[in-house]
Amino acid sequence: MTTLLAFVRFCGIVARASLSNPPPVRRIVEEAHGIGVRSLPILLVVSAFVGTNLAVQGYNAFAPLGGERLIGMFVALAGVRELAPVMVAAMVAAKAGTEMASQIAVMRIGEQIDALEVMALSPHWFLVTPRLVGILLVIPALTMISIFTLVLCSYGVAVYQLGLDGNDFIQLAAATTRPVDLLSCAAKSLVFGAIICLVSCFYGFHTRPGPAGVGQATNAAVVVSAVSCAALNYVLSEVLFG
Amino acid sequence: MTTSTPDDPIIRLVDVHKRFGDLVVLDGVSMGIPRGLTTVLLGPSGTGKSVLIKHIVGLLEPDAGEVWVDDVEMGRASMKQRYAVRRRFGMMFQQGALFDNLTAGENVEFPLRYHRRMGAAERRRIAAEKLALVELPEVYDRPTSALSGGQRKRVSLARAIVLEPDVVLFDEPNSGLDPMTSGTVDALIQRMKEQLGVTFVVITHDIVQAVTVADWIGMLSGGHLVAYGPTETFLQSDHPTVRAFLSRKLPEGT
Ligand SMILES: Nc1ncnc2c1ncn2[C@@H]1O[C@H](COP(=O)(O)OP(=O)(O)OP(=O)(O)O)[C@@H](O)[C@H]1O
Ligand SMILES: [Mg+2]
Repeated sequence: MTTLLAFVRFCGIVARASLSNPPPVRRIVEEAHGIGVRSLPILLVVSAFVGTNLAVQGYNAFAPLGGERLIGMFVALAGVRELAPVMVAAMVAAKAGTEMASQIAVMRIGEQIDALEVMALSPHWFLVTPRLVGILLVIPALTMISIFTLVLCSYGVAVYQLGLDGNDFIQLAAATTRPVDLLSCAAKSLVFGAIICLVSCFYGFHTRPGPAGVGQATNAAVVVSAVSCAALNYVLSEVLFG
Repeated sequence: MTTSTPDDPIIRLVDVHKRFGDLVVLDGVSMGIPRGLTTVLLGPSGTGKSVLIKHIVGLLEPDAGEVWVDDVEMGRASMKQRYAVRRRFGMMFQQGALFDNLTAGENVEFPLRYHRRMGAAERRRIAAEKLALVELPEVYDRPTSALSGGQRKRVSLARAIVLEPDVVLFDEPNSGLDPMTSGTVDALIQRMKEQLGVTFVVITHDIVQAVTVADWIGMLSGGHLVAYGPTETFLQSDHPTVRAFLSRKLPEGT
């Protein structure tokens, strides 16, 4: 409870620091680039294989009922709307979130954050703002890439392995996924990105001293941000997709 | 207890109390730091010397008491006022606090980059000049992680003075340095004080350095400032902790 309060206070400080000074553009570009490049390979691989298995399991579920044509719809509903955004959040939390938490925790322990303060630079502005803006720039794109990869791979499995009709797949998938659904996915991912960044930076800032502290902070960052995103996904889906 | 007050303090601590959980670190410390002079803070390890100077720049806030820098009380000051005060300060942390992802030179350039409008070449020139002052011109492009402990300290020192601040706080500038380099640091402090009128607050365990650079000396022990005054007065103090400290470090007697 006190942690939650401290977190809210932290977000307030970040918001104020981010708005009170022009953002450090160079640092934002660095962060966005770093987050994107680091998360992309693992994201491609995981999205591809989630896509393949979605097709296989969709087939297993619908084929006995004679509904194997519905796979396209199933992939669009489960994969595009739900799995891809949460998967991207989990991967970004695992790659970028942990790195944010550990980097900032090390800076806290090494008194580098105090050094920033003494140099009259807000550490929130210097350390959190670029990461936040960077992640918000990158994560919708990562989500779209993940969706594309996932659909492509499940299409491949459906057509070439399961021998289904490709046109059916595309028509049903396209009918189920309106453009506004993709926008909703992007919106979801923005929320997730903000949570991952703020939670990870928060744990970094509030680390306990010593190397054990860095480990704990990193661990807490990924667990809390991934769980929050998964839980929030339920709420967001209710709101966005009804 | 024998403590005096300078005529024109730039910094004033008024009855500062600080505890961490059950550990009382500062138990009512009052002291004035004289403007344009060098004040040395002595004390056994773990008495709160680092904690004390962190109060001066507002990195820590007292549980009770006040910290004044000229006419700003750091506890009540807005963030903006606090940052304005800090822009007048340079601080060298006990562990250096260098940014690991930058080179030595970039660390020294760092304050210039954010607080001065100047081109990259100009920045580099000034940073190189400061690194030369601490006798490390050759480390400019070396990553911070490749520096020795003593080198990190001196790079940190160069960073602390790069904006030519009014007040410089050094937390054990000499620990980990060989005697000859320590002499360089002492000379640097003397020169900056005389030429630029900089106020120094130096924490040290090195009694030779203390006697060399100090205009005023304070002894922090058991949460109290047990002795504080101009160097000659301090050295005459008959407080047992001061005597013990001086006799152990200076067997010849002073
Ligand atoms: N942020 C903190 N949280 C909890 N305890 C702290 C904190 N900072 C310092 N302390 C404790 O306060 C006491 C004084 O610490 P400080 O670093 O000021 O000592 P010091 O006089 O500088 O010693 P040294 O000469 O060894 O550097 C120590 O017992 C330390 O453990
Ligand atoms: Mg100390």
